Amino acid sequence: MLRPRHRLHPYLFLAPTLGILGTFFLFPLGLAAYRSLYRWDLLTPPRFVGLAHYERLFSSGEILRTLTITLSYAAVVVSGSMFLGLLLALAVNRKGKFVAFVRSCVFSAYVVSWVSVALLWMWLLDADAGLVGRACKALGIGEAGLLTSPSTAIYALAGVTIWKITGFSMVVFLAGRQDIPEDLYEAASLDGAGPLARFVHITWPCLRPTTAFVGTTSLIVSFQAFDIVRVMTQGGPTHSTTVFVYAIYEHVLLNLRAGRASAMVVVFFGVLLLLTLVQLWAWRMGRRSR
Amino acid sequence: MTLQRRALLQSLTAAVFGSALGCSRDADRGSAQSVALWFSYGGKNREVLERMVHRYNQSQQGIRVLATFQGDYFEALAKLRTAIVARSAPVMSHVVGEVVPYLHEAGVLEPLDAYPDAQNLGLVPALAQVGTYTPTEPKPLVALPFNRSTPILYWNGAMLERARLSVPESWDELREAAKALTVRSNDRVSTWGLECPISWWFWVALMGQAGGEVMGADGYPLLGEEAGVEALQLWQRMVHEDKTMRPPPGRDYNAWQVTNQDFLAGRAAMIYTSTAFLRYLEEHATFPVRAAPLPGFRRRAVPTGGTFFVMMKSAPDHEKQAAWDFLRWMMQPEQTIEWATSTGYMPVASDAVARLEREGFYQKSPNDRVAMDQLKYAMPWPWAESLFRVQRECVDPRLEEAVLNRQDARSLLNEARKQALEDT
Repeated sequence: MLRPRHRLHPYLFLAPTLGILGTFFLFPLGLAAYRSLYRWDLLTPPRFVGLAHYERLFSSGEILRTLTITLSYAAVVVSGSMFLGLLLALAVNRKGKFVAFVRSCVFSAYVVSWVSVALLWMWLLDADAGLVGRACKALGIGEAGLLTSPSTAIYALAGVTIWKITGFSMVVFLAGRQDIPEDLYEAASLDGAGPLARFVHITWPCLRPTTAFVGTTSLIVSFQAFDIVRVMTQGGPTHSTTVFVYAIYEHVLLNLRAGRASAMVVVFFGVLLLLTLVQLWAWRMGRRSR
Repeated sequence: MTLQRRALLQSLTAAVFGSALGCSRDADRGSAQSVALWFSYGGKNREVLERMVHRYNQSQQGIRVLATFQGDYFEALAKLRTAIVARSAPVMSHVVGEVVPYLHEAGVLEPLDAYPDAQNLGLVPALAQVGTYTPTEPKPLVALPFNRSTPILYWNGAMLERARLSVPESWDELREAAKALTVRSNDRVSTWGLECPISWWFWVALMGQAGGEVMGADGYPLLGEEAGVEALQLWQRMVHEDKTMRPPPGRDYNAWQVTNQDFLAGRAAMIYTSTAFLRYLEEHATFPVRAAPLPGFRRRAVPTGGTFFVMMKSAPDHEKQAAWDFLRWMMQPEQTIEWATSTGYMPVASDAVARLEREGFYQKSPNDRVAMDQLKYAMPWPWAESLFRVQRECVDPRLEEAVLNRQDARSLLNEARKQALEDT
């Protein structure tokens, strides 16, 4: 076992990372926690209000509403992008110029900026002039417009997000699929396994680490959602698309409430911490069962 | 070959002399006092403002105004507040009327009374600070009117003539006109009778027409009481019962833009929007655009809107002096005329209005006259620090809930009132 020459050496090696984390993550978080106890509009002196912001956020139902919206959005985005990404990866896992072209097309959406994607889809989803909006209207979905109805707006945003990030999921799944030795498939075929059995017993188990990675990255993307909300719905209609990050932005910059926004930040951090713990627990359980 | 070399040498010499001249000109401009102006216009209004700032910079040598676009009103305000805290605010900006009392009470605005000619700018009272607010005690001059507006009714001249309708004067007539102008086929609407952003400004207009006030003299948030409910119920009836009004998707100015686009595309026969878009709509419509005062109910009433120029108290004195020179220039009749006739906003100088009358501008452009005529029904805003917060946080979200989710207007406004009274 390696032993440091001096007991301070490990801390010196950790210092740059700790410094960055402390300066840009822990200090602002501590500051937000401190500010959340004050009523502050940036311009006038802060006034101590204790836990009033938290009491107000919970009693008004704002936290529950925002959490429900964020989790609904995240659930659709994570499951949709994983499912489609895997499906596309399996479909384009072959050689040929046409398949390479299709792969490039699907991935291209991922490199386009969120604002451009949002503007493009606002036009596509328009109930009167948009291709997708009109098609949905003809099918009886979102008569008034998918972005106009409080019951459909968040799913429309989730759909746009899936469209944008599925290319990334596809590429990662494709890399994972190409790492699986072909011998396994050949042996399974000789044993009489059909395509479905090969997928269930070889592809899916071998892709588990890839699936965990895709799931985590798309979860991060969905919890960071802001640009798409800002451009397409501004949190509306009737707060139906006010996800956590947008709610924080709205409080601090539009409603002039830095204190309440800070309380939202602390709660959001708590939610993310809880999700991380659940994820770690699931990962450890998965390793133990192997 | 020789000729080519000579031509090359001539070009090089010219380039060297040219850049030297350019440098000397830049050096001259370099000695000028630079002052920052943050503004919030896009499109045509931005072009007009930049043209005017350029003209001001060319008209003298001592001051150079640097105008920078900062997003829409709310985005610009957010940036301004953050910049004030970070001590990097511009010396000048323009802000919506509803936020002026808050900024003043926060102590960030420079009082302008003592600046040269501040008392003799000859402004239209209803558009200047003095007539825009009803403070309970005298307040210092902290805001100069710039792009001032009122909401007006725009209608598609061709559609109204085809339907043989006259301009609606009352809420009842508005509902009837909207019914007559709505075009349906197979239960699908191709043209909506009326489109109006579900937003504070238009609700305040309706609430005022129903006889209400935003706040009492003591600053209590009345929100129109029963009149506020009636205003919301008018929208609810037109959207859900008559099915003649389209609430545009999006919030804030996004909804305003959709309203304009629907009007221009013939998807809405009448719209409520600001005078600010008059020139834009006239220039882009393929049909005659007509403007009319907003229909009344118990009375005629209309809020004023738009923005005021403000100066930051924290700026250095020499910058404030230079900024004042620019602001004074912008208040002159020539400039207010250029701004108003190029955009659709109202001229803020009394002499400018008189001159436009004299020169027959309003006879030639009757649409421009509508907002000016409506000024006699203008409702002043209460001078309340909380006014902006009441608008953004308490009322605006509930208007959407009432109209889109068809929730009970009375209980929503009660909730809004309760929230407005909360301190934290």
